[in-house]
Amino acid sequence: MSCGNPHATDCVEVLALVYAFLDGEVDDTDRARIAQHLDECSPCLRQYGLEQAVKSLVHRSCACEQAPDRLRIQIVTRIRQISITYRSSGPAD
Amino acid sequence: MPVVRLIAATEGGLPALGLPIGGVGLGSTTMTDDVVAEIALESAEERTLRFERDAMQYLDQLYGAAMRMTRNPADAEDLVQETYLKAFAAFGSFTDGTNLKAWLFRILTNTYINIYRKKQRQPYLTGTDDLTDGQLHDAESHTPRGLRSAEAEALDRLADTDVVEALAAVPEDFRMAVYLADVEGFSYKEIAEIMQTPVGTVMSRLHRGRKLLRELLEDYAIERGLIPAAVAADGGDES
Repeated sequence: MSCGNPHATDCVEVLALVYAFLDGEVDDTDRARIAQHLDECSPCLRQYGLEQAVKSLVHRSCACEQAPDRLRIQIVTRIRQISITYRSSGPAD
Repeated sequence: MPVVRLIAATEGGLPALGLPIGGVGLGSTTMTDDVVAEIALESAEERTLRFERDAMQYLDQLYGAAMRMTRNPADAEDLVQETYLKAFAAFGSFTDGTNLKAWLFRILTNTYINIYRKKQRQPYLTGTDDLTDGQLHDAESHTPRGLRSAEAEALDRLADTDVVEALAAVPEDFRMAVYLADVEGFSYKEIAEIMQTPVGTVMSRLHRGRKLLRELLEDYAIERGLIPAAVAADGGDES
């Protein structure tokens, strides 16, 4: 699949790497090639923009989850209990 | 060697975990003998304090991930508590300097798979890694269902609850790969270690998960009137 215009890097190759590019998981050479392609090719840029929108949407919507206070208290209490039980019984040989 | 013996001794009496223990992968660094000795010699009380100081800071993040896994608050709380208790029991053998956050997420994932997934037997949208290439083809083509930039903006106007709901509809392994990458910002290598799968599988799960999620979000955007259905259906301008 191609936008029909000549590019140094093919659209198919760019789109195959678009997630890795977005995730910062491509090396410097690929990053430069993809960035150059996105500058020249508006269909790929549009696709990239869309994937970027989805990624930031997921981050925005899911990142602010807060655990209930009682869960923190419960866990710390259990851990301290285990620690005390363990200390009073001593390490098993 | 006294250090090794001490670590082994302090682990005695605690329940067997069946978990991969820290220090394996997850970007472990080499420690000096002094640091190893210091940690090995710490008292149970000191270790408890170190655990509270270092591990409890990830509570909200682990809870968020547990919510995405179990999809309900009660199970998420149980899962997170179980995760912390296992992590605490194994903390003596956790190598300081390794990636504690990734280690905790790995215990969370293992605990979920071992306890909850077996129990729930939820039907999934598809088998995990077996979507056909044909189903993936659309994501790699420019034309049909791609949104215009105005449509990227429309997605951005979706309510958080819609996004959370859409993500919940994505099959679990894809959903967690997307969550770990986009919410927690883990690298592909870290996700591979957390999910105990090769990096190539992580990439394909991300690819498939994001494509499904994008389609679901487009549906929500149309439903909410943020994108006129006609625009999404006609596929935009052909080049």
